[in-house]
Amino acid sequence: MLDASGVDYSKILKRYDVELEVAATPEQMAAKMLPKDPVFNKVALEVMNKQIKTVGPTVAEALKERDPLAVINEGLVAGMEIVAKLYAEHVYFLPDIMMAAKTMEIGIALAEKQVPGGRELKGTVIMHAAEGDPHDIGKNIAAVMMRSSGYEVIDMGRDVPIKDVIAETVKVKPLFTSGTALMTTTMTAFPAIAKGFQDAGLNIPLMGCGGAVNRDYANSYDLGIYSEKAPQTPVIAQKILDGYDWKKIRDEWDSIVGE
Amino acid sequence: MAVTRYTKMAYDSADDLVFGQAKHPVSYGFGIKIGAGVVIPEINYAPRPGAEKDPEKLRREYVDYISKDILNRAVTAGFPNVQLETEWVSQMNQEKLSAPVVAGQKAICEKYHEEYGVNCAVRQTIPDQREADEGLRPGMGGRSYPEKLFECAEIACENGADNLSCETVGGKEFADYAVTNGDITAFLFGVGYLGSLDMTYVWQQFADIAKKNKCVAGGDTNCSGANVSMFMAGGYLDNDVQRTFSAVTRCIASARTLAAWESGAIGPDKDCGYEGIICKSIAGKPCAQEGKNCQCAHCDLQGNLIAQACDLWSNESVEYHPEFGGTSVQCWFGSIAYEAALMNTATQLGQAKTLRDMYMYTDRTRGPEGYVLAYDHAYMVGQAIAEVGNDLYLRAKRAGQKGAEIILKGYESKELPLTNKQLDTLKSIIKTLDGLTDDTDKITEFCAKEYKDTVPNYNPKNYGL
Repeated sequence: MLDASGVDYSKILKRYDVELEVAATPEQMAAKMLPKDPVFNKVALEVMNKQIKTVGPTVAEALKERDPLAVINEGLVAGMEIVAKLYAEHVYFLPDIMMAAKTMEIGIALAEKQVPGGRELKGTVIMHAAEGDPHDIGKNIAAVMMRSSGYEVIDMGRDVPIKDVIAETVKVKPLFTSGTALMTTTMTAFPAIAKGFQDAGLNIPLMGCGGAVNRDYANSYDLGIYSEKAPQTPVIAQKILDGYDWKKIRDEWDSIVGE
Repeated sequence: MAVTRYTKMAYDSADDLVFGQAKHPVSYGFGIKIGAGVVIPEINYAPRPGAEKDPEKLRREYVDYISKDILNRAVTAGFPNVQLETEWVSQMNQEKLSAPVVAGQKAICEKYHEEYGVNCAVRQTIPDQREADEGLRPGMGGRSYPEKLFECAEIACENGADNLSCETVGGKEFADYAVTNGDITAFLFGVGYLGSLDMTYVWQQFADIAKKNKCVAGGDTNCSGANVSMFMAGGYLDNDVQRTFSAVTRCIASARTLAAWESGAIGPDKDCGYEGIICKSIAGKPCAQEGKNCQCAHCDLQGNLIAQACDLWSNESVEYHPEFGGTSVQCWFGSIAYEAALMNTATQLGQAKTLRDMYMYTDRTRGPEGYVLAYDHAYMVGQAIAEVGNDLYLRAKRAGQKGAEIILKGYESKELPLTNKQLDTLKSIIKTLDGLTDDTDKITEFCAKEYKDTVPNYNPKNYGL
């Protein structure tokens, strides 16, 4: 092996990850975002700190003192919003999000039992991995992020036939339907699905995602919109809730996902 | 095909590992000799969307356009060797789509070999569409994907494949959960143990099918596990998976990829198996690798290092389309072929080990994934596997532990910088792995209970358990 003792690696590479690591702790970064109310604060902290084992008792205590919907929105959801912020700031990683989401769901399940008629969700979306495509890890992550953001997700799984996606969308009429594909020859399902929507008289956006899909492709057929990364999905969903149609999503995509 | 586990290293020392040379070279196709003194470029491609719509369109895309373009460029630029790799699109599980492509590629290779003397061959990588919840073995119902897997192997071999390869998915149900949740135990059990059982089962049969048709059974990769982990760990701007986690999953995956070679495959393995260097150190069979010349497909942090001991040098995959310098396959073939020419020049000048070390040092400290694959470290991981080579679970565990130990020592010696979070994750992995039983039955029992709710697709019958 060559003698590398005199090598100055700074002339070869720069470890941006080490040099730019965020030094602040989650607690420090979240300080300003945590609820002031002591009961909600405690609930939000359970989510932020991914306390799967203790979130149940904490929520149960909170429910004795506060309205269940408030416990959900001002405690559990507020905690999850902090988690999303920590992820965006590179303090938290994907496993933190998954664990925090699980923690939040445990809390919500408890609180929801005390809400007559259940909790009102923001809307329903359908997600699937394209026909012939077994790769669904990206869809699963996006589904967690959508649920964490207050949406009902109908997860149709992977390798879903085109006709099934169309039929489910016609039946449910979701905010949008998403499809993920890791192969160039499976993403060709998307224009066929979009055509099926149009034939059924639907104007519902079809979100194209996944490793093989790029923005140009997702925008190459009517109803098509694009999501590059899982965290962008709830952001785009919010715009659809705000009344954006697929054309406006496309037109303002850069500013939407950049927000 | 009988299974023979590796319990000894093929090489006496790490320094014997070098590009273009394998202990057990493999010959096939039209004049191709892999691991016999030269590095051969391996060009991989994807058809344009829509090409899969009918058999003739797909055949034309793969044979008349892609293969012909590549072989023409070989002659144009004076490259003496080329291996093509066709990774079957999912629709090719239908014989009417796949058979004309395989036969057509064989024919065009023969033509260029006879007319110009280009040494060439085609690796046919068949799709593994099996899904854990539908059954991984024939006769388990569902959409008959296990049956189709073996049918694809027959179609490929009967129609002229030179090298039969596959990216099997055994253990994927655990790998997906493990990577997204940062759970090293789930990865070890799913990929390290279950994946090895599945690979052994599948490759014994692939090897028989290949032998029957005078085809070479090449090898496999843990693309569906360790690569998912590595790609999600990404680069310095990404924060989905910790790179220390990804690095350890790579070591565990090497114990799984090895199982194909133990079950009758003779190499080379798949380019996307970054664990190839570890497997080569144990088995001495040639390995395919991809790195800096696969930027058309993805970016990683060991683009030079990974060339250190390759026998085939690949572009991973590129969609067929026009570029300024020709079609995409011609451009990227040029990129890998010139790199292979550099390596072969180094060999001819007696400087192969010097270039190998230059490749390796370039990326040695770029991150833990490259650090653990530097050939001196890869050899140590190989030793950890071979020492307990007959025990599929334990060798995967030892591989993970050794990888983690190497990274920690690198950090403590100040050779390898880590972020605080990477270090925290590494220490947690070491603690977890050290705390796990060495006993296969006990870990199987433990994981069945531990992941009952979180990995609901786990079915022991998929693995003969």
